[in-house]
Amino acid sequence: MSGNAVALTIVIIMFAIVTLVGFAAARWRQAEDRLHLNEWGLGGRGFGIVITWFLLGGDIYTAYTFIAVPALVYGVGAVGFFAVPYTIIVFPIVFVFAPRLWSVSRVHGYVTPADFVRGRYGSHGLALAVAVTGILATMPYIALQLVGIQAVLTVLGVRGDWPLIIAFVVLAGYTWVSGLRAPALIAFIKDTLIYMMIIVAIFYIPAKLGGWSHIFSTAGAHLAQINPKTGKPFGSLTLGPTAVWAYSSLALGSALALFMYPHAVTGVLASRRRYAIRFNTAILPAYTLMLGFVALLGYMALAAPGVPQAVKAHGANAQLAVPFLFQKMFPPWFAGIAYSAIIIGALVPAAIMSIAAANLFTRNIYKEYFYPDATPAQQTRVAQGVSLVVKLGALIFVLALSKTFSINLQLLGGIWILQTFPAIVIGLYTRWFHHWALLAGWAVAMAYGTIVAYSTPAPGVPGSHFGGSTANVPGFNHTVYIALTALVINLVVAAVLTAVFRLAKLSAGVDETLPSHYHADPPGLRRPRVPITRMTVGKP
Amino acid sequence: MAQHRAPRKHTGTWIVIAVLLTAAVISTLWVPIYNHLTPALGGFPFFYWYQLMWVPVVAILAAIAYLLSRLAQRGQAANDQPLDNGRREAN
Repeated sequence: MSGNAVALTIVIIMFAIVTLVGFAAARWRQAEDRLHLNEWGLGGRGFGIVITWFLLGGDIYTAYTFIAVPALVYGVGAVGFFAVPYTIIVFPIVFVFAPRLWSVSRVHGYVTPADFVRGRYGSHGLALAVAVTGILATMPYIALQLVGIQAVLTVLGVRGDWPLIIAFVVLAGYTWVSGLRAPALIAFIKDTLIYMMIIVAIFYIPAKLGGWSHIFSTAGAHLAQINPKTGKPFGSLTLGPTAVWAYSSLALGSALALFMYPHAVTGVLASRRRYAIRFNTAILPAYTLMLGFVALLGYMALAAPGVPQAVKAHGANAQLAVPFLFQKMFPPWFAGIAYSAIIIGALVPAAIMSIAAANLFTRNIYKEYFYPDATPAQQTRVAQGVSLVVKLGALIFVLALSKTFSINLQLLGGIWILQTFPAIVIGLYTRWFHHWALLAGWAVAMAYGTIVAYSTPAPGVPGSHFGGSTANVPGFNHTVYIALTALVINLVVAAVLTAVFRLAKLSAGVDETLPSHYHADPPGLRRPRVPITRMTVGKP
Repeated sequence: MAQHRAPRKHTGTWIVIAVLLTAAVISTLWVPIYNHLTPALGGFPFFYWYQLMWVPVVAILAAIAYLLSRLAQRGQAANDQPLDNGRREAN
């Protein structure tokens, strides 16, 4: 067998194992009523510290980490490293606000961020805006997962779209059957594979390439070459004066945005106890350390003989840098394991994201506007169907948008989702903002962010669209992440209009929450564990 | 502010927590601190090892903040009880 055939065989075997586990997960910690959305969509709200850790890790560290970030580092150098400060500062931020969201959601039975917004502001319009934004922003993020899988398959020499379609049909299948339990259980396999791959990669590859200082200096020399498309160097090992603001605004904007995503909120709400969330902010940085070294795989790819040439031969697609690095450096069987890690590392979050988006649609659009009397079983059925539709929506993003740097898919999602920050996070602390003002701020910022992102061309391709995520801010003269600029506009509009609406004595709506609800810490929703021997298929 | 919390005895503890967490955010977002190549460490330019070093540091800071928050909340539990409207589940 050729090297690729060995690797591909291992990928197929690993995929088969994961599929079995995914379907079997339906019986894991099974509850009385499988068809309740709390069960399908939140795993029964009974996950402890360890499972919460795996689940949040599975949410956060995705094809974004393994393909998109190293691709950016490979292509432009230091700027791509913004993912490290991003995944550092996200934990202090979560530490502060997530326990409040958990408490108020537990008291009122909220499953989605839009549930909270509706309860807090008594506003259907604002809740709908939050729900629609969540679903929309999730799609490019899932699209990024598809691009990651595609990158591995391309390097494996698999042609055509059918392997990707098989992967997604199977994913959709066990998501349908097992809900959140499937990705939570597969996350164990995924993380084991990923940690194995990273530890081997950060010791074995540098030793083979002649040490870290050689890697950095070779990568620096590569980056200093002139990019024929732009007439400027590709990048450098530190940030140029114009990139400083872009770097910290990308980090800050991404960190503020991450826990606005419905799937990240799902991970928080599925936790059994309040303290498990804060405890996790102390142990989740283990994933950040991994992310930092994975980002540096981009430099290893620049320094590895044959890899830049192979990437160039495939249309200079930077997303292929890491898969080609593994192909050139690892024996085929280990490359197979590493590829499996990347593919499963894309499938798990894709499942979690589509479940979360489906929860949003079902509770905040379907039940709210179409079928208020839907039974829990009907809601779960709708959510199962929508999780499928969301994945198809992601495919459209894959086909329609520029893939120069796939990280722009995630950053585009960030531009949108960050505009729900005022309603959700500020809403956890104060009711000062008027809900109509928040809605207006959201609308203006969404329009601004989308238009600016649309009119940003890919570097060296004038006239192209959605080619980048940072733009010059007029009057400030620095390049800044569009999401953050839009957030500032959002807040200014919301604040000014709130003042106006208060003067006009517009009704502020009913707030169903009480201050004490934000600190409440009810014990977990315990239920008798079903002993193994009594496990049954279907409804008992 | 629309909300007022129950009076707290642990304001000092929460201030320490805020300082710890803010330190992590500022040290990693303020780019001029670390935007240079030297001093290198083990082949890593300063830009890279400085930021990687902050990962375990933030984990330790968050762990300390977690322990402090548990202490503060334990002291507070007695105050909170009457506010809970019987929402706590009888278990």
